[in-house]
Amino acid sequence: MNALLEQFLSESRDFLQGIGEKLMQLEDEPDNTEFMVELFRFVHTLKGNSGLFDFPEMTRVLHASEDLMDSVRNGRVNYSQTLADQLLEAMDFVSVLIDEIEGTGELSNQYTNTSAALAKALRALIIDTNLGSDSEAVAILLESSGALEESVEFNVSELELPEATAMQSYRDLKIGNSVIWLMYTPDPECFFKGEDPFFLVRQIPEVIWSSITTSNNAPLAEMDAYDCKLTFQVITSADISELHELFRYVPEEVRFEIITQANDLISPMGEHNNEPVYDDFIEQAQTLLAKNNTEGLRQLTSTMLELSSPALWCSSALRWLLLILELDETNGALHSALLESLHTFSLTIPIIESVVSDEKLLAENDTVHVETVTNAKIDEPTESNSVHLSKEEQARVNAIIHSQKEILNLPNTNNAWLVGRLKAVALTLKGCCQALHKNEALENLDEALNDALAQSSSEPLLVWLETYSKDFESLVEETVETAEITTPAQITNDEVIQETQKPIALKATESEANTEKLDASPEIKFNRRSEDASAAASKTLKVDQEKIDRLMNLIGEMVVAKNALPYLANRAETVFGVRELSREIKAQYAVINRVAEEMQDTIMQVRMMPVSFIFQRFPRMVRDISRKLGKEVHLVLEGETTEADKNIIEALADPLIHIVRNSLDHGLESPEVRAAAGKPAEGKLLIRASQESDRVLIEIIDDGKGIDPDVIKNKAYEKGLIDETTLERISDQDAVNLVFAAGFSTADVISDLSGRGVGMDVVRSAVEKVNGTVGIESQTGKGTRLFLSLPLSMAVTNVMIIESNKQIFGVPMDMVVETVRVPFNQIRNIKQKQTTVLRGRIVPLLSLNDLLAQNVEQVANEDKEFATLIVRVHGENVGILVDDFRETVDIILKPMVGILGGLSGYSGAALLGDGSVLMVLNPRELI
Amino acid sequence: MGIEYKKALAIFSENVSVEDAEGLLDWLVKNPKGKINLAACTHIHAANLQVLMVVKPTIAAESKDENLQKWLNWALAN
Repeated sequence: MNALLEQFLSESRDFLQGIGEKLMQLEDEPDNTEFMVELFRFVHTLKGNSGLFDFPEMTRVLHASEDLMDSVRNGRVNYSQTLADQLLEAMDFVSVLIDEIEGTGELSNQYTNTSAALAKALRALIIDTNLGSDSEAVAILLESSGALEESVEFNVSELELPEATAMQSYRDLKIGNSVIWLMYTPDPECFFKGEDPFFLVRQIPEVIWSSITTSNNAPLAEMDAYDCKLTFQVITSADISELHELFRYVPEEVRFEIITQANDLISPMGEHNNEPVYDDFIEQAQTLLAKNNTEGLRQLTSTMLELSSPALWCSSALRWLLLILELDETNGALHSALLESLHTFSLTIPIIESVVSDEKLLAENDTVHVETVTNAKIDEPTESNSVHLSKEEQARVNAIIHSQKEILNLPNTNNAWLVGRLKAVALTLKGCCQALHKNEALENLDEALNDALAQSSSEPLLVWLETYSKDFESLVEETVETAEITTPAQITNDEVIQETQKPIALKATESEANTEKLDASPEIKFNRRSEDASAAASKTLKVDQEKIDRLMNLIGEMVVAKNALPYLANRAETVFGVRELSREIKAQYAVINRVAEEMQDTIMQVRMMPVSFIFQRFPRMVRDISRKLGKEVHLVLEGETTEADKNIIEALADPLIHIVRNSLDHGLESPEVRAAAGKPAEGKLLIRASQESDRVLIEIIDDGKGIDPDVIKNKAYEKGLIDETTLERISDQDAVNLVFAAGFSTADVISDLSGRGVGMDVVRSAVEKVNGTVGIESQTGKGTRLFLSLPLSMAVTNVMIIESNKQIFGVPMDMVVETVRVPFNQIRNIKQKQTTVLRGRIVPLLSLNDLLAQNVEQVANEDKEFATLIVRVHGENVGILVDDFRETVDIILKPMVGILGGLSGYSGAALLGDGSVLMVLNPRELI
Repeated sequence: MGIEYKKALAIFSENVSVEDAEGLLDWLVKNPKGKINLAACTHIHAANLQVLMVVKPTIAAESKDENLQKWLNWALAN
């Protein structure tokens, strides 16, 4: 999942929360326009955000909500309870969608219908309260929604499909494929929305037949090429879910009908002939049919077909007969009907439920499921009056009955629940009775329920259950009996019906309660689902940074406390002489050390942020500034996913903005100048972040005019930053580095962008504050490269402990180049300064005691060697003489606060494992 | 790209976009006997389809794209 989507999801949850809250507040103060405006804003933003992604279901609902809120805001629609309910419903739906996206990364098309229904319900509210107004849009809305509503009863036979198409559909249906007819009427304005309905239709898989019509009857001269009046009709054997997926952007413009009645497709067509040549054939065929000789009938039909002209109606009928003989052998009535039709040229298809295909469809699609269930229920009484259950089904019925008993036997403690409980039980039992055709029991059930409700007790229902429970249990035997009575021929037919209808009936019972509720109020409820899901789904946690800081401090202390263990082990051995204990402490220390390090690592991870956090503001900034300056700049961002500690990232923001501004203002030239210099008119500014071991490297590279060292030198001299001798001696690189000097500015005019002389100096100190370094490289005429190097995390600092004048100090390891022992006799004095030659290079030496203003000589070891710490400061190696080196430790560096905060020679202090305080030096400031 | 208009023949390129529909209609109105060559065409935007359906010009060459031609047959059948 990409970062943008993640952010969208997390933000959307916040918005949904906000919308919910505002709606609640509005309940109390329905006239508060401020809430209203805010609510609109939330919905509006959420809609806009969702539009960035490919979630049409979500956007559709939000768009409708937005329109509704807009009407409310403008006072065209009054705020009402139903409106709030509908909006909350919509938001619950959106939240379900968000859960789904979070879980799977995408949105399945199962929500298309619900989304369209919700959007319609929302839009209906805009219209409802607005009926009196003369708004044209409303009228159109009403019209279009109405058109969809009263869709005419669909009948395949009216489509007049070509014979081949009908036959193929019939074949598909018979072999168990679903066959779907769809009608797609694109919006007349759709060409302006970038839609291509024809392209969309061409994407439909498994197309069997199509008809494309246009209702455009205007004279050619007046025809508008961009007024879409097309209607597409398609018959396909594709999966309904695929079609929903395909048309998910325009669900309101498509109508799907699933063709279930294969027999409807049988429609022979062709010329009518008057010759009575078929009489003999029909007679013969009927005889064969009566004898159940399908093979004979097939041969006879084929022969007859060869003799007739293919264009005749009768030939068509014969072709159908052949097809049916092949696919639906047992359907004698249908065969006979087709033969009969040869006399009359009109086919009356005997009404036979094609149960098999019904059931297949049922498994495939839920919406059809409901319809079929209702059909099945209506049909049941006429089809059969006794019920046959398999053992499994019987067990299920028993389970249902049993659980109803349990419910009824529950102690009656809360009257408020009793009524509902009784009704629910009665409803379930009613479903059972209907499914199993226990009509007598059914009649008494209502009475029992009424009694129970009147008495506020479950007794009457229990009595009823006792009376009839035997009926439910004895069904298995009945099955056997009925099966024996029926004739063999009927058995096959019956079994098919029973097999298919039992599961349907049972499902009907189970879902009875739900369906009935749905019938009463056709709204879709998401509340429960969304509540269930949100508990599990929300994976991101927003935490106050203070808490994380506190956690980090605690871990820091933990590290310190842990570091005390080796001291303890040491004491156990040396002071108390218990070597065993010492070893055990050390072993235990190893474990604690591992856990502590892992903890520290984890908390670091928590604090990590991608640099894109600051990078994302650059495109806009660069665009604005370059416009202002009349420059053309192409900004390239690289390595946005590089991560660093939050503090580092935040500390980086201002310096980076400064640098980018500088590059735009001083670095890149105007298009004319660039063209004259033979460069492309558009300047390139590259901002790149990368990770180098434990540091983040950020480079800002432009291909501008670069920095001219001579100009810098002169400016610096003018401003008194360097003296005359330096001016002559200074190298080009050093001159370029002068831009970091305090008070330096090359710009003659102070603009609102830069030129106040605080620029790069501020950048440097800001970067150094977080232990970073900044450098610059430039080639006149070619461009400038600025680079910042920052630690990944500033929480743990690795320091080297040194000793000087009987005190210990820490020096950050990242500044230490090496440690050497310089013999006394190799120290030379140049003027008043001590120096030595190290690998052929002169290194100035400074005594730490001098630096700290302690009037004590450094102590050398027995061999008259001085411990020298070579540190790198501002790109130069400097030796610091100390008394001795100690080990290196990881410490949590705490910056100095209060009065001590002014001591820039120290970067902070830390606690050591033995409880002593370690002062950490800041050699940069010291020297 | 789009449609190349000859004296009495409009040659459709591979993909004819929505912008071409207006031009096509104009051309067909001015050249009522203009014929259409679809040989190279693989898709036409629905707007062009509608123009063809309404004007019903003679198709000089059918599309070599079988799928497109199948759909065009359905569309131009009546």
